[in-house]
Amino acid sequence: MAQARTSADAPADVIIVGSGAAGGMAAYTLTKAGLRCLMLEAGRDYDPQAEVNMFAPESDAPLRGSSTPDKPFGYFDATVDGGWEIDGEPFTNREGTDFRWWRPRMLGGRTNHWGRHVPRWGPYDFKPFSRDGLGVDWPIAYDDVAPFYDRVEKMIGVNGGPIGLENHPDSPPDCLMPPPKPRVTEMLIKAAAESVGIPVRPAHTAVLTRDMPDPVAPRKACFNATPCTRGCTIGAMWQTTTSFLPMAKATGRLTLVTDAMVARVLTGTKGRVSGVEYIDRKTGKRQQVRARAVVLAAGTLETTRLLLNSGEAGRGLANSSGQLGKNLTDSTGATFSAYIPGLADRPRYNEDGIGGQHIYIPFWDYDRQKRGELDFARGYHFEIGGRFGIPPMGVMPRVWGGDLKKAVRHASGATISLVLRGEMIPNADTFCEADPQVKDRFGIPVLRFAFKWSRHEINQVAHGRRSAQSVFEKMKGTLLFDPNVPPEKMMTAGGEIIHELGTARMGPDARTSVVDSYGQAWDADNLVLMDGAIFASGAHKNPTLTILALALRSSERLATRIKSGAIA
Amino acid sequence: MTPSRRETLQWMIAAAALPLARWTPPAMAGEAAAPFQTVADWPASVPSLPATKGYGRDPDLMDPKVPWPLTLTKPQRATVDLLGDMILPADDVSPGAGQLGVGAFIDEWISAPYPAQQADRARIVGGLMWLDAQAQALHRRAFTGLDVGQRSAMLDALCTAAPAGAMEKPVAFMDRLRGLFVLGFYSLPEGKKDMGYVGETPVEGPYPGPTPEALAHLSQLLGTLKLTPA
Repeated sequence: MAQARTSADAPADVIIVGSGAAGGMAAYTLTKAGLRCLMLEAGRDYDPQAEVNMFAPESDAPLRGSSTPDKPFGYFDATVDGGWEIDGEPFTNREGTDFRWWRPRMLGGRTNHWGRHVPRWGPYDFKPFSRDGLGVDWPIAYDDVAPFYDRVEKMIGVNGGPIGLENHPDSPPDCLMPPPKPRVTEMLIKAAAESVGIPVRPAHTAVLTRDMPDPVAPRKACFNATPCTRGCTIGAMWQTTTSFLPMAKATGRLTLVTDAMVARVLTGTKGRVSGVEYIDRKTGKRQQVRARAVVLAAGTLETTRLLLNSGEAGRGLANSSGQLGKNLTDSTGATFSAYIPGLADRPRYNEDGIGGQHIYIPFWDYDRQKRGELDFARGYHFEIGGRFGIPPMGVMPRVWGGDLKKAVRHASGATISLVLRGEMIPNADTFCEADPQVKDRFGIPVLRFAFKWSRHEINQVAHGRRSAQSVFEKMKGTLLFDPNVPPEKMMTAGGEIIHELGTARMGPDARTSVVDSYGQAWDADNLVLMDGAIFASGAHKNPTLTILALALRSSERLATRIKSGAIA
Repeated sequence: MTPSRRETLQWMIAAAALPLARWTPPAMAGEAAAPFQTVADWPASVPSLPATKGYGRDPDLMDPKVPWPLTLTKPQRATVDLLGDMILPADDVSPGAGQLGVGAFIDEWISAPYPAQQADRARIVGGLMWLDAQAQALHRRAFTGLDVGQRSAMLDALCTAAPAGAMEKPVAFMDRLRGLFVLGFYSLPEGKKDMGYVGETPVEGPYPGPTPEALAHLSQLLGTLKLTPA
């Protein structure tokens, strides 16, 4: 990327806070619409071309690239300068809470190292309250979002196949690139799962399987090698740093400032916001910038923190509903693995494919759930793992010498994992707030979390475990988990799946929600939220595609309003 | 966050931490080893790691470096190298782990200033001390001074299927050392070749998918499991 400018009087129509999925989409859409944008990113400048080490073997890295507190997802993972912890930027938990908060500090945010699984949300997902009386409905329905899903899939490049299942909408014919062929383990999962009535389908993945030409940021089809989470110098994996950001810059209407830690949103007259105040992370210098509108796309919890620390002391900004910080959800998570003796010594072939899974298991038990026959109200899906590589020690006998080498060769590629990701229903015990005492190194109050799974989530994981067991039984597999421990002992901690959502939710009115369906704050009509904070529920489906679709919809609406003079 | 983001590497690390499954492929079941007449005491403490730093949250990914000093003593490193060539010996497929320098990786691992590695340091360094104490108790020599038969008998005892009492910690040490040798060895190009690992090479065009041999094997497996190809 070009050098960041730090001109305090950068003339801009719109200030965008954050450069990840939502910020990238806002910058792309608004600059294309002719508006001048100033983008503020708290993290450092980042250039995938110069910094992504795609080909080095893990054996080149310290500790063979293993996870450490410094690099939790491995040495070569593209997350730079952040992670579960950031020096000088703590967060706190209430008594009894173990919430984790993943914060990259880099241009492009999480899109540089995200999961790339991009299922569409379905009709039930936007109207959960109507279905089971829990949580709230969204003020929009699937049909309102569908045209934007269509466009986003084509804009970012998604591959996938037909699904044909209730509440898992298919894309129109021209939206998806062809999916990759399934691997042997994936074909076995499909045969075993479908024999017990559990469907298996091609996954939708934000990785190109065809070239995507562009005059500014051309992207190449995946070449079926190297781990995506290191980042992708050929642009096959979608990340804003190789797509929306260079495209927006090419319009000449995007000013990008990195290391700009936004501390608060400034309020103006007539219930509007006037700009933001930010701190240069390198010099500590504070400055204020003004614009006609402010877009917050800092990530669900940073956006929420900004609002809590702006406006009225003790209440925050855009919080007349009292919902700010409430309704926090993360996906449930649990991993079930088994060793499959029948896969031992299987013939070797190149199983890299497009990096992640080629297939997945969408939720299937809607009928029984609707009839009240399940003891949990919302669904989950399984992502899958199981490829050649170093087998876990636990599947090999306790041997040494030539026998150990034989055991490794024998067991390589014979372990399969079903990885559960489920919906959490917002509950009163789960929220975030400004910590009354603790501040970060910039003097900004930090977030404090309270988090609790309800019986819905715990029972859902138990159902997932029984389902996984039934699939593994069909494969004559040996379970690598104890099927009798309490399910809550197998669940991830809150925040660990990095799908935090809902803390400034959209809704039908100012009384019950923070923003309208376009992310526009009820209390300030030139303040627009575009990240996961605005979600009215947290379906089990990974949120990024929906964040992008809503950001596109909101950005176009904002451009129209500015150009029509509705926002002077 | 998806498993795709916690791909092979994450899976490998998590898997390495899994408890041993109570399961032995019949074809590979080892002989039950006779336990020792006497078992040396597990060391009360191991020398602490000198103050040192990790590589930080933003290391240069294009130029990976290990910033912390290695801490095994010369005799300890010699023992580790010797164990490497016993645990993963040279055969007609690949060289031995000691020969490939995987001992240096073990040293790098237990010298790293991170909590998981420090827990392993206590296990591994403690285990090396115990190994010498046990060799002294049995044969009045350090472990490296034993003959092949004596060393092998000790390794057999440390790989007993159901360790009890004073043998639990020594066996846990050997479990972890074996795990680290497997990680260190099989992540090297020579180790990948040993496993028959194919990949990490750009393939233009659509992913070719499984070979006819791989598909034939699956087809046979589905038949055995009485599953219909989906």
